[in-house]
Parts: sequence; structure tokens; C-alpha cells
Amino acid sequence: MLLFSFTSCNAQMNNAKTVSVRIYGNCEMCEKTIETAGNVKKVAKVEWNKDSKMATITYDSTKTNQDAILKRIALAGYDSDKFLAPDDVYKKLDGCCQYERVNKTTISTTKVVEDHSIHEQEIVSGQETDQLKTIFDNYFSLKDALVKSDSKLASTIAKDLLTNINAVKMDKLSQEEHAVWMKVLSSLKSNTDKISATTSVEKQRGIFMDLSTNFFALLKVTKQENPIYYQNCPMYNNGKGANWLSKENTIKNPYYGSQMLTCGKTIETIK
Amino acid sequence: MISQNIFHRIVLLVAIPLLAINSIFAQKVVRYDLYVRDTLVNFTGKTKRAIAVNGQIPMPTLTFTEGDTAEIYVHNKLNEETSLHWHGLFLPNKEDGVPNLTQMPIKAQTTHSYRFPIIQNGTHWYHSHTGLQEQIGMYGNFVMLKKTDDPTFRKGIDDLPTAPIVLSEWTDLKPENIHRMLHNANDYPALKKNSVQSYGEAIKAGHFKTKLKNEWKRMLAMDVSDVYYEKILMNGQPNTDLKSIDGKDLKAGDKVRLRISNGGASSYFWLTYAGGKITVVANDGNDVEPVEVDRLIIAVSETYDIIVTIPAENTAYEFLASTEDRTNSASCYIGNGIKQLKSPQPRLKYFEGMKMMNDMMKMNGDLDDMGMAMSLNQMDMNVVMYPEITGNTKPNQSDNHSDRYNANALGEIVTLNYAMLKSTINTTLPESQNKELRFELSGNMNRYVWSMDNKVVSEADKILIKKGENVRIILYNGSMMRHPMHLHGHDFRLLNGQRENAPLKNIVDIMPMETDTIEFNANVEGDWFFHCHILYHMMSGMGRVFTYENQAPNPLIPNPKLAQRRLFADDRKPHFMAENDFATNGNDGMAMLQNTRWSIGTEWRLGYNDMHGYETETHMGRYIGKMQWLMPFIGFDWRYRKMKMDEQEENLFGHVSKKDNRTAISLGFMYTLPMLVNFQAEVYHDGIVRFSLMREDIPITKRMRAGFMINTDKEFMVDLRYILNKNIGIRTHYDSDMGLGIGLSLNY
Repeated sequence: MLLFSFTSCNAQMNNAKTVSVRIYGNCEMCEKTIETAGNVKKVAKVEWNKDSKMATITYDSTKTNQDAILKRIALAGYDSDKFLAPDDVYKKLDGCCQYERVNKTTISTTKVVEDHSIHEQEIVSGQETDQLKTIFDNYFSLKDALVKSDSKLASTIAKDLLTNINAVKMDKLSQEEHAVWMKVLSSLKSNTDKISATTSVEKQRGIFMDLSTNFFALLKVTKQENPIYYQNCPMYNNGKGANWLSKENTIKNPYYGSQMLTCGKTIETIK
Repeated sequence: MISQNIFHRIVLLVAIPLLAINSIFAQKVVRYDLYVRDTLVNFTGKTKRAIAVNGQIPMPTLTFTEGDTAEIYVHNKLNEETSLHWHGLFLPNKEDGVPNLTQMPIKAQTTHSYRFPIIQNGTHWYHSHTGLQEQIGMYGNFVMLKKTDDPTFRKGIDDLPTAPIVLSEWTDLKPENIHRMLHNANDYPALKKNSVQSYGEAIKAGHFKTKLKNEWKRMLAMDVSDVYYEKILMNGQPNTDLKSIDGKDLKAGDKVRLRISNGGASSYFWLTYAGGKITVVANDGNDVEPVEVDRLIIAVSETYDIIVTIPAENTAYEFLASTEDRTNSASCYIGNGIKQLKSPQPRLKYFEGMKMMNDMMKMNGDLDDMGMAMSLNQMDMNVVMYPEITGNTKPNQSDNHSDRYNANALGEIVTLNYAMLKSTINTTLPESQNKELRFELSGNMNRYVWSMDNKVVSEADKILIKKGENVRIILYNGSMMRHPMHLHGHDFRLLNGQRENAPLKNIVDIMPMETDTIEFNANVEGDWFFHCHILYHMMSGMGRVFTYENQAPNPLIPNPKLAQRRLFADDRKPHFMAENDFATNGNDGMAMLQNTRWSIGTEWRLGYNDMHGYETETHMGRYIGKMQWLMPFIGFDWRYRKMKMDEQEENLFGHVSKKDNRTAISLGFMYTLPMLVNFQAEVYHDGIVRFSLMREDIPITKRMRAGFMINTDKEFMVDLRYILNKNIGIRTHYDSDMGLGIGLSLNY
């Protein structure tokens, strides 16, 4: 009995197997998170070195395996050569812990980039083949910001939108697109500029109403990969109603945000 | 952890489907031979019994093309009966595979053949409909392809690389034992899942009042699911890779169609994907307009066809199926390269759920939807428990918010609900006579009784319908759990606001307090089962049989009376439980046999000497009412003891019990009071009256249970028990007759 308790104190593992693997990370805080995520009493022990980025993993080979341990570590935010951490978990890591993700292959399309901090890249990669798509995406981000009643974010996005509107090369547009573009351009520019200039979400919403009408006209003549929904809030603008565009059929009202999030309905589906 | 070599002890029997082309009938007959055998599996480090078909779990995927004739030979190599039901298929009633209803069971060591034309397409599945065999391996995908010249063939969907996935769960416990434990309200599964919701945990979470109110309303702690499973499986494995389809490696930009069936016996699964949105293209084998979502829940026995995209090179994206309670999951990695994980869904906020149930439950046990007309899974009461929707702390929005339970309005992510399903075709029923039926799904959580209109299968008559008429069924779920209701042999329209494009389904999942309307055209004669597809609910009798007026007898049921008796035996089965405390001051225990309505039980207290005495009390009673709070009984008591000289016992009413040796019969009743206290009143044949109050299993902490008893014979008892495992606990108690004792308490 005594002998037994002695050995367990010693933390000797049965059927121990030791491997050395690379785990990406930066600092001492990373070390703690990695080791806590990997360790299981008497089953797995992880020791990570922040300089070499190598982890020594000792585990009971009858009870677990290397993949299970590395998966736990990845779910805590740390990439290895087998697993990539979920993006949302990585983003939540402390600033000092946000290591360079060398193993992650970036997605090579210009699809919705939700994180605002990488908008610049998006502009660069937004090739002229689909230059309107970039500004549509800006519009949808702007709408989402208004849904969240985040006026600061809305203003920043509007700034981007203006830059992108100015960057549109008109000679690359189709004839139909070109015609509508010329009609809406000046109003588009001034509305966008006004949204970026204010931080009052109420003012932004008022201008957004006009902007949505411009975008609706533009979207109708542009080929869409996925259906876009034209939605209506009957209450806004003193009961006269206001419209907006969304990629989802589900209603999320940008004019009232959380006050009346699901008020409204889809009035037209643009395909 | 687990040896991936699950089937290392299986004698592999190779049975390749034989394709026989029969040119005389100008149609293809596709034949499969299925060999059903006992097997041993090892998912958890322990070797357990399971059932394999053709040497594999799940059963092989059966593939047909619309227009084929299916010929399936089932070779039962088990030492017990079996059957196979073709879930979601349109077929003659005698091929439907429900033992004792559409055919007699396939006896041990015999062969039965099913033969039917394939007159539909889509993703379906098949499983054993006998006993609890589905839990231990008898499930598999059943795919019917469209003909390439089918006018409904969808380019970009029906021509994508496709992989079948059948979801299931594994438990090391025998399913019969699980079923028994569920009926005895054993909370060991909750302990394993860390969802006991004891007073101690309630206080820690600042929810003491919530717990108190919950017990005041006579509810036991609830979970969204009540069976603990060691492993979740996709195609028979906790982790699988999908690197290539039809010999072609998957690469960035590829779209993959997954045909997913939920073959789990009692688990709902959340489906999420690390590579972005999920496009739903079909449900229960019927095409729907593509709809993009972030996640969906697949009810027990439903099927969904979904499309996922591989966004980047050198990466395999995790497709995750997590149980509804989020305690376990299975993964499939789609693509080639490093594995991109998806964050698991956060743990449920159980006490928020408890609070929500408190609000919904009236004192008489009925549910109160507080004026919200709920249907189609749009309002999910459970969102109060979802941290990803309602945040990690207590919800801060006002309690009267109309969107309080609407996940899509509250959260950033899009969750599929039934209102979003739109059929690609007009599904209006032919003009005909209409018949309307209403059912309330009813249940009693504490005693695990599940029924429709408070009647189980054996208590209700078959429901007569006429061939050609349109049957409309309005279902209201008045129970506290969700139920996936499945109709055999027909697809029904789920009226979900999509008008003529209402989706066709054969399962409707209906959450507590929801009302859903379904309708179908009665077009195939026979006896068709309509039941909850949670295996343990079905076996408890939650279902009905639809039958057609003046239909021809089924040649496979030579003796309908015998068949009916056997069918009814399923929910009439009594469940046994027993416990005994081997303590220093004596033995204290009870044994009970119960079914849907009846209970017979004996309690005993056996001292180690004559002075402490020996006594037993036996009660036989019937539970009354939907909530089963009342049980009138007749009783029989026996006691022997040797008191000291001249010592006598007198009860509160001045009655004196002189005899050391007493045998008495009694009449009485038991009633469950708020706080789950049992009040018992009985009158003995000699005029002595006794009242008692008792409460057992008060959850103090995760593993600690307390109890007390006090009666008008001036006897009392208090006890405290610490749970070691599902059958063993350490118990200490003080008894007014026998004094203080400590011992080992065993229960079965």
C-alpha cells in the first residue's frame, strides 16, 4: 500500500512513450496554456520550450495517443504540424501569444472578410475581375455594423467603402453596370462620405436608407453568385418604411438593431 | 486511448452484393445479402457485445437507383429474433419490417427476404426494429439515386462527389440495463456528464432559488438528453478521414455532398464545419431549396443532405457532430493535409435551463407557453442554455422580449429551423376528403413514461383511416422533452409557411410546447407505425398504429391476435429495481417491479437481533393521472421484534401496538407533494392509521444524496449517501428503531 502511494507520487506513467513535436507559440503564457491543455494526470505530460518551440510529450500509450493530445492543445489555440487551432480561439489569445501561423494556408478568394484589421489586404487582392463585389461586401459589413449599433465600426467601414468606390475602374464594368454606376455614383460617394464623417448611429441609419436604394439598383444589374435578399422595415422613417440588402433571408434589422432585431420581411430575392 | 482496430475479433464475412440483371422484366433487380451476427467490439478499452452485419458496424450502405427492384436477404445468424425496417421508404406494408406488426420476427438462424420496387430517391437509412438492437450496431445508410435523366436532377448538387455518413453512439452498458435505469430515475448518467444540478452546485452558481422552485414544482434535474454515451461515431468511428471520393483526391475549391443519417438511438447531434457555411440541400430524402447555415441540429432518425466546400489547399477541415448536450462528439476531416479544427460548442448553462423550465411549468404539471405560439423549432427554449447565443453570464435582456428564444435573432450565427426548409416541388395533396386528428405528446420524466394523449401503444386502439383521404395531424408536445415523431410508409407535408412548397418529411422533431401540423395522403394500405424515434421512448410505448379500413389481411401475420399481444408486450414490460444497505445496525432495503401504470414493491428493515426486530412492508398500487403523482395501493406488513419488559409503543393518535409479532393488511395511497416529498396514508385492518412523509435522493452535491422519513408511529430516519459508482454507495443513517448505522449500499 505504502509502496503504491509512493510510486503514484512519483508520477511515473505506465506504458510511457515519449515523443518530441513542434508546437507553435511565443511566450511563457503560451507555455502555460499549452501544457495545461495537454496534461492529463497519469496519462499525458507535456513540456514545451518557448525557444525551440518543441514539446516533449510523454503519454501512456494504452490510454491515449499523440493526436488526442495535440488536438487538445490546438483547441486551446496552438497549431502543431497535425492540427490547426480554430480561428476564433486563436483570435482570443492574448496579443503577446498571437504567434505566426506558418502552417495555415490562407483562403485564396476575396470572399467576405469579417475581420476589419485585414481589410487592406482585401483591397489589394480584390482584382478588377470582380471589383463591384468588394464594394458589395463593404456594404454588407456596414449593414452588420449598424445591426450591432456599432457606429465607430460603421464609420471605418464607410471610409473603406469610399476608397473602394473611387478605385473602381469604370472601363472594366459591363455596359449595364456602367449605366447604373454613372447614375448612382455621386449620391453613393456623398452618402458614404457622410456616414464616415459622423459617429451618431442615428444619422448613419438615416443616410444608410438612401445608400441602400443606390446599392439595390446596382445589385440588380450585377451577376450574383448567391441570392441577395431585399428586405423591408415597415416602421422606420416615421412609418414610411425603409429597405436594406442582406445575404441572409433571416431578418436582422439595421435600422433598429437589437431594439427590434427581427422586425421586417424579405420583399425581393435577387438572384 | 482506443485501439482503432475495432473489429479485430470479428470473423469477417465478405458478402458482396450480387447484381442480378433480370431482362425479362426490363428492370434491374439489385440484391443484397445481409448476414447478421453477434460480435465483440472494443471502443473504450473494454470488450463488449455488439451486432455486426456482414462483419461491420454500421451495416453496409445499400445503394439503389430509382426504378430498381430491391431484393434483400436477411440471414439471421443471431441466437435471437431480428428484423430490418427501411426507414422513410414507400413500400408494401408487409416489407416494412416492424416485427409483430407488418411481419413476424425473423427467428434465430433463419433467412427472410424483402423485395420491393424502388419508387423514390434520396438519402434514407435502415435499422433493426426489434428490441434495442439498433443501439448496438444495427443501423446503416440506404441511398436511392436519381436516374440521370430525372427532370429533377440538379446540376451542381446531384453530380457532386458524395459520401454517406451515419451517426450513432456507443455505450458500454447493455441497452436493456440503460432502459431499466431510465425507468428507475437513476441519475448516474448525469453524474458521468457532470450535469447532476445538485443543491451544492446550484448555490455555487447563484441559483439556489431556481433549484428550490424546481423541486417545489416536483421536477427532477433535467438534461437535454438522458443517456450517457462513451463514444460518438461517424460511420462506426470517433475520428474518420475523408481524403478522396471515388478514387479522386479532394482539393481546395471542391464541394462535397454528405448524405447524413442520424442512426443514434437517443442522441440529437449538432452539425458544424470548420471550413465555413453548410448548405442544406435535402431533408429526410426530399430535395429542398439550398439554404446556407452555420449549424443545424439533426434529430434522431432524420437525414440531411448537405454541401460543404474545402476552402484552402493542404488542409483537411473538421466536420463535427456533437451531442445536443455538448459532452461528446465525433469528427470527420474532409480534405488532405493539416487538420483545421472547429471549436467545440460550449457547455450548457444548466441552471438557466432549469429556470426556464420553472417558468414554463404550472403547478399541476401542465406546460405554459405564456402566449408564444411555438412551432417548427424556430423558438428554441434551450437557447437560454447556449453560451454561444446568450453569452456566458446571465441573460440581460428583459424577460418579455419577443425574441427571447429565437436563436437566429439573438446570435450572430444562423441555425437551421424547419421554417427555412422549402421543397423544390409543389407538394400540395390531391383533392380529397380530409380527416383531422390531434395528439398531445405526453410524458412523465420522473417515471420515464412516454405516451400520446396519456396512452401508450398497448392502451390505445389502432387509428382507422380510409384509403384516398387526406389525413391532417396536429401535434402538441405537452411533455418536457423533445420528440422526433416518425411515420412509416408515407412522407408528410410539414406546414411551415412555405405554402405549396411545404417540405416533405417523415420525421418531425417537436420541442416542448410546440404545435406542428402535418398532412399526408393515405395511399398505401397496411398497418403503419407512427412513433417517437427515441428508442427508449418507443419501447416505453410512445406511438400509435394507423390502419386502413377494410384492408386485406397481411399474409405475413398469420395470427393477428398473437402478433398484437407480442407488440404490446414491449411497453407492458415491468422494470425491476432493488437496493440494500448492509449497515452496522442492520439491513435496510427495497425491491420494486414497475411498469407504465402498476407498481409492486417491498421494503425491509432487518436488524441483527430480536430487539431491533425485522419488518417488511409490501405495496401494490396503480399510478393515476398524467403526472402520476397519486398511487392508491393495498399493502401487507409483517413485523417481529422482542421489546424489553412492559415497553409499549403508542402512536400520535393514542393507538397502542402491543404485539411484537404483527401481520396486517392495509389500504392507502401515496401522493407526491411539492419538493418531491412522498406523502403516504394507510389504514390497517385493525383500525390503526399511519401517515408518513418521505423524501429520498436529495442531491446535496454532485455525489452526495440525503433522505428522510418521518411517520405517525413516532418513527423517523435520516440518511446520507455518497455515490461511488452506478451500483455502489457509502451510506450512513440514523433510524429511531435501530440507531446509528454506517454501511455499504448496493443498488440495481
